Amino acid sequence: MNVNALVEPAIQLQEITFCKYQLTTVNKNIVLTFPQLLQLRTNINKLGTHDSVCDIIDNDNFVLLFVADKQHLIYLDIPQLLSLKNTIDSFFSPFKSVLF
Amino acid sequence: MKTTAIRKQMTIHPEVMDVLNEQIAMEMHASASYLAMASWCDQRELLNSKSFFYKQAEEEREHAMKIFEFINDAGGAAVSPEVHNVNNDFESLRDIYERSLEQEINVTQSIYKCFKKARSVDDYASELFLQWFVNEQVEEEDTMRSILDVFDLMEGMPLKMIDERLPKE
Ligand SMILES: [Fe+2]
Repeated sequence: MNVNALVEPAIQLQEITFCKYQLTTVNKNIVLTFPQLLQLRTNINKLGTHDSVCDIIDNDNFVLLFVADKQHLIYLDIPQLLSLKNTIDSFFSPFKSVLF
Repeated sequence: MKTTAIRKQMTIHPEVMDVLNEQIAMEMHASASYLAMASWCDQRELLNSKSFFYKQAEEEREHAMKIFEFINDAGGAAVSPEVHNVNNDFESLRDIYERSLEQEINVTQSIYKCFKKARSVDDYASELFLQWFVNEQVEEEDTMRSILDVFDLMEGMPLKMIDERLPKE
């Protein structure tokens, strides 16, 4: 089963201007600055480790996560969490040195 | 070539930033660990060893700060780490120096890991930055080894006499 294909439209991340990014969840549009985006990446990477995911499944099966310097609280179930992790990963992955 | 949005914001590669943040945690743990060793020596009036480990604790924190500032200067996000599992329980002065050597070897291996990561993603600035740490680790390991040599030479002598032969920093 391709989990990402099912939930992909649920959470999106876009670059709006040079230093503004927009996170679109099911019910919210959240504008992020670059440092806020980096913080989101750090938090999601921490939540998305194997141990952490197992821990979430054993407990509430969802997480509440503060974003944009605690201005917003988002709800993430496991597929949404993994989807957001993938989205952020791919957002950061085409990082290329200026030499190429 | 199209420069990505992320590249315009940060020069450090995100994966290098991640391993360097782990390195910050390791340096801060090393600092806390040396502080525990300093306390053990301080309580037993081992004057040279005590100042040696207080100094080491400070130096490790400086290493962490060097990396911390490098990450932020490069547009990344340095993370203030959690420090746990600090051992305060030691068998002897020799045990302390043996643990120190082991700790330095682990730090060296971890620096190599960061270096390899920087090289594998063509993050030249980080690779150059890490060269200082590679050299620093050679010195740190060498210091600990020479101290352990003194223990071997002076085996059986009173602890305070051994301590008097050891470096203060
Ligand atoms: Fe260090």
